[in-house]
Amino acid sequence: MISHYLIVSAALFAIGAYGVLARRNLLIILMSVELMLNGVNVALLAFSRLHQNTQGQVFVLMVMGVAAAEVSVGLAILIAVFRNRKTVDTGDLKSLNG
Amino acid sequence: VFVAAALVTVGAGLLVVTQRNPIYSAMAMLASFMGLAVIYLRLEAPFLAAIHVLVYTGAILVLFLFVIMLLNLKPDELGGEYPLPTRFAIAGLCAGLFGLIAFPLSQDKRVFSPLAVSTNPDAGDFGSVVRVGTALFRDHALAFELISVLIMVAVFGGVLLAKRKL
Repeated sequence: MISHYLIVSAALFAIGAYGVLARRNLLIILMSVELMLNGVNVALLAFSRLHQNTQGQVFVLMVMGVAAAEVSVGLAILIAVFRNRKTVDTGDLKSLNG
Repeated sequence: VFVAAALVTVGAGLLVVTQRNPIYSAMAMLASFMGLAVIYLRLEAPFLAAIHVLVYTGAILVLFLFVIMLLNLKPDELGGEYPLPTRFAIAGLCAGLFGLIAFPLSQDKRVFSPLAVSTNPDAGDFGSVVRVGTALFRDHALAFELISVLIMVAVFGGVLLAKRKL
């Protein structure tokens, strides 16, 4: 049944959202974003299977490409931040705090 | 098979966001990705399952582990966490979000119909490399090229950001 797959997808998305909101370690925030993207991928594949339409699988390939690009830039930013500030804690990064 | 894979995926996902040390999170993410690959296979997407293992565990997870080792954080450098009540409140909010999405979806009683068998042997089965490749390069060639430009820009940006001096 499609609802089982969609519930797994929703669970992954909610877990990722919790990780992004509640954690302060930049590495784990990036990992949580990956979890959210994977949750969306499961939903896309489930609907692709339901309608027997291959376009959903092409969509998932695009999402994977964007995820790879996002991770490479995100980790590069993390390295730059760590080099300048010696921290990976988002709570310590408040230079823009008025 | 599906229930086991779903439990592994969601349970490992919970471990990813609750572990304090990023290296344990990365290991839990590996288990989560393996469970996801099984779910992809159950959804008749063998090509996507293979690509998922290659890209996510082969590239993204290795990149994460590489950065974790590069930073080499001591336990006291891991940074603080929000106080426990705040985290419980956010967990409640996210559980509410999950309920809000999952409850209407659980009413969806549609089942997967058996796959249509193609009469043309060249067309390939659903989810096969032939079918996905045809859709990707015939109908979505522009999106494919744009993704390649995006990835190239991301590679240059990554080098530019991470390099100490150009």
